[in-house]
Amino acid sequence: MIEFLIYLLTIIGIWGLLSLSLNVQFGLAGLINLGHIVFFMVGGYASAILVMFHGWPMPLAWIAAMAISALVGVIMTIPTATLRQDYWAISSLAFAEIIRFVLKNTPIQGDYIGASFGIPDIPQPLGDMLSTHGFYLFFLVLTLVLLALTYAVVEWITRSPYGRVLKAIREDDHVALALGKNVRSVRMRAMAIGGAIGGLAGAMFAHYNAFIQPNYFLPLETFLIWAMLLLGGKGNHLGAIVGTVVIELLYNSTRFLKDFIDIDQGVLSSARMVVIGILIILVVLYMPNGLVPEKRRRYARE
Amino acid sequence: MDQVLINTLIRGGELSLLAIGVTMVYGTLRFPNFAHVEFATAGAYITLFFSAVFGLDLVLAGVIAIVLVALIGVASDVLVFRHLRLAHPVMPMIASFGLGIAIRETVRGSAGTSPFFLSQTLAERWHVFGATITDTQVLILLLALLAVIGFHLLLTRTQLGIAMRAVSDNADLSLASGIFSERIIRLVWLIGAAMAALGGILIGLETQLQPNMGIGLIIAMFAAALLGGIGNPYGAVLGAFVVAFAENVLLATNWAWLGTLVGMDVDYLMIPTGYKEAISFVVLILVLLVRPRGILGDPAR
Repeated sequence: MIEFLIYLLTIIGIWGLLSLSLNVQFGLAGLINLGHIVFFMVGGYASAILVMFHGWPMPLAWIAAMAISALVGVIMTIPTATLRQDYWAISSLAFAEIIRFVLKNTPIQGDYIGASFGIPDIPQPLGDMLSTHGFYLFFLVLTLVLLALTYAVVEWITRSPYGRVLKAIREDDHVALALGKNVRSVRMRAMAIGGAIGGLAGAMFAHYNAFIQPNYFLPLETFLIWAMLLLGGKGNHLGAIVGTVVIELLYNSTRFLKDFIDIDQGVLSSARMVVIGILIILVVLYMPNGLVPEKRRRYARE
Repeated sequence: MDQVLINTLIRGGELSLLAIGVTMVYGTLRFPNFAHVEFATAGAYITLFFSAVFGLDLVLAGVIAIVLVALIGVASDVLVFRHLRLAHPVMPMIASFGLGIAIRETVRGSAGTSPFFLSQTLAERWHVFGATITDTQVLILLLALLAVIGFHLLLTRTQLGIAMRAVSDNADLSLASGIFSERIIRLVWLIGAAMAALGGILIGLETQLQPNMGIGLIIAMFAAALLGGIGNPYGAVLGAFVVAFAENVLLATNWAWLGTLVGMDVDYLMIPTGYKEAISFVVLILVLLVRPRGILGDPAR
């Protein structure tokens, strides 16, 4: 039970980073990124490849993973100038899938590493020095520390003048443009920041799970992150974390429910997803601001 | 090459049936409905249910499935999307993904993940100009063609169709001209879901049924709809055939001449078949970069 709890908290920490990074892009900048999982995927692959096949030390590889994912975010902003918001949203989904297909079809070393086989035996940080139990405990602490740091950084960004420009663009980019703000560059930086955080989460997941494969990064994952953010409350970082906790609890509920309810595992796992699907609809319909709504500053009394 | 053409026609026909519905809903309500592909999955599985469990004739089972899915389409609007008309466009988009998950997982939970086949009989094969076509494929082509022609007649020859096009073009203006938009919107859902169900049944007839058959089509469908310009059903059909053509022709083409151009010494250079699903995505992004409103859409601002 304690192992499961440690696992659950670590997963919540990693996915918490993902919802924070989506919150920077959507909650603050208003960018509807439906390919958010691409940062997670690229970060994981980049770090695993650098450590395993180029002999990079792990901390350096994680930083490189963040930089590469940030670059991916910058590339994704290129069509925002010409494309309508919703067209860009669908293209971002397509973009993430293209990257996934490239990874799915590219062998990395030999015939059985890379492509659809994924990357096995990714080294775990301090993995050979600690016992299995010790490693999971260590990784949990590492995850929570990095989550807290990231939280502090995004909170600081939100309160900074840059954060206010982001929110202004989210509300109406024409106004921000008229005030002389470089909308494109501000958006690009939001995508880069979100990309870097997502890349960090991906690198952490790759080295935690010790195995990654392209099918871990399906569009469904992106929508689960969206569900976390909308359920918790978009634009509010605390909300992003709360939403992550709720969705991850639901998502992993089958693991302990199977001891109490005697039905087929497949049916139970589908039922869990149906519940999440309906929950998403209910949140959108009845709680559009989420569990922890964003505090909006009022400039005038009504 | 003839085989490539036949495959393109069949894939294009199936995609058209899906893309028409999604583009009409998109044009009318201004959001991409991610649950639309699940109407196809639901249609195929309901057909399977009535034909395998109740032993009904495949045609009768198919008709029942289309009617039921059409009702599911209307119900999803009445229960969910009607309440989101004024919300930020991302809200119905996310809700539609939730609905899609709910439908897909209901199918998976009740039917399991193992694939099913709709027709058990071995298809009869005909050889035309060196290519092979099965009787199922001919049926698929005919039904897809009939559905598209029927929809065209509806749009151009009936009062209802003209109203549908008006609402899809500009909902506020058509309301001001005395068109009762809400009723038209519900009809758009009804027809769109029914066509998607037919598409799903045809795909099931040609290949097999599995819970992910819909979600696997999502980008190809949106590529078709966006290529043709949102809200334009003819564009959607055109887009569907562009996507189908790209998927089949690019894979069947020998690119060795391109290799010689860059100095490679090869006789044979093909795109690996693993990339088939990625082609529609690449086509989508390339076209949007050049024509951000689609091939038949308004020129870029």
